[in-house]
Amino acid sequence: MKLIKKGLLDTWQSLPIYGLQHEGIPPGGAMDIFSLQIANALVGNDVYDKALEMHFPAGVYQFEKSTLLAVCGADFTACLDNVSIPMNQPIKVPPGAILSFAKPVSGQRVYVATRPLTDEQVSRVKILPWSMNPENVFTDEPIRILCGREWDQIKACSQQLVLSKSFGISPTSNRMGYQLVQEPLKMVSTSSMLSSAVTAGTIQLLPSGQLVVLLAGHQTTGGYPRLAHVISADLPRLAQKGPGDSLRFTLTDPTTAEYEWIFIQNYLQQVRNVCALKLSQHRFDHR
Amino acid sequence: MNPQIYELGDSALTIEFGNEISGNLHQEVMKRFYQFQSVPLPGTLDLIPAYASLTIVFDLGVVASRFQGLKGMKTLIEEKLAEPFSAVIPEGRLHEIPCLYEGPDLAFVASNCGLSEADVIRIHSEKEYHVFFLGFLPGFAYMGTTDERITVARKEKPVTIQAGDIGLAGNQTGIYPSASPGGWQIIGRTQNIPHFRAGDRVRFIPVPA
Repeated sequence: MKLIKKGLLDTWQSLPIYGLQHEGIPPGGAMDIFSLQIANALVGNDVYDKALEMHFPAGVYQFEKSTLLAVCGADFTACLDNVSIPMNQPIKVPPGAILSFAKPVSGQRVYVATRPLTDEQVSRVKILPWSMNPENVFTDEPIRILCGREWDQIKACSQQLVLSKSFGISPTSNRMGYQLVQEPLKMVSTSSMLSSAVTAGTIQLLPSGQLVVLLAGHQTTGGYPRLAHVISADLPRLAQKGPGDSLRFTLTDPTTAEYEWIFIQNYLQQVRNVCALKLSQHRFDHR
Repeated sequence: MNPQIYELGDSALTIEFGNEISGNLHQEVMKRFYQFQSVPLPGTLDLIPAYASLTIVFDLGVVASRFQGLKGMKTLIEEKLAEPFSAVIPEGRLHEIPCLYEGPDLAFVASNCGLSEADVIRIHSEKEYHVFFLGFLPGFAYMGTTDERITVARKEKPVTIQAGDIGLAGNQTGIYPSASPGGWQIIGRTQNIPHFRAGDRVRFIPVPA
């Protein structure tokens, strides 16, 4: 793919890469690892392959070779040569075709997975006849959280506020984290804390009384009180929210967090299996 | 004091050995870091040492499907902590870092601490520091503790700091490995940024301009 026009923040992202956090190197990776994996599965990529993560306005790219393409995550009205194409569906793209995004409809980050079609010369855009519908993951339910180590350091009324009010997302939010907007929370006492590890999903309380949710690009350690943690299964859903959206939180328990994560992993494995089967059947039929 | 183990979200556990910056506590952190590095617990993705804690990040899929989740891992960690442990802890390397003490905040630090700039330089460079952990930026080493005479608060508002800048914050000192916004008081700079590991020792050598 050749870059025609740069987007706001286009980066190639994979699943997070662990093992170097003791060197201060965060795992990083895609914000919405669910959409990333669906996109990779649809084109038959490996689970560890990279996909292009883009925000709106997204970049404009031209394909240099025959390519299999899938667009997942945010709906920015993806177009090939200015004709809109479906999301969550594999599409064969001829060399020279131009991928652009016309209008943001929903979500914050789009994922574009590609795989070169080495044994085939594609002459026109061809939408393959199967798709994956991830609507059951991107619901509007409250974001589920677990209590953090310092949850009891805010007053009961502030705990109530976190669990009942809806929070705005500040426009200063980025891949490192979302700054949330609500009335300031009240601490029971202010005791200084030593810095220690944080993870994606950690909700920290800033000295101003505001909250910040750490996301994919978070630092490895932090020294602010850890009020709560978004469960891993809800991070992709959170990553598709942005300024202008509102967030609600609800408490859950570790067993639910584990169950939901396994549920998503099993679903992704099924998607990978189905996509691999469909792609191999398609290749067989079109020999 | 017995270490406390608590959940950090749904896929990490933090072992807290205490709540102060001390050589002894950190020795315990590093001992366990090497223990769990040499014989990793199932599903381990990362081990993150800090001043007085060690965090283990797990693959949630592995621990949830095969080890009764974090609850199971917690029990496993308790057992490991109770076992006598005799793995070799690598000796921290000594880094001697040439430092040009001409930072933009040197004068502020001196006046804030009621010292001359020469005193600040002397006090900062005569002590050997301990690398507690890396965090904040890739390769950023939290070192300490500095002499209490040069204890200084962070800036209220972060400013842009260059790679190689050497700063103070509280009783900590550190070198920015890359340009970044930061709130530390910059007293000097170096072109020699070693690859730090937690447990290393550091000495700053004043060099003439």
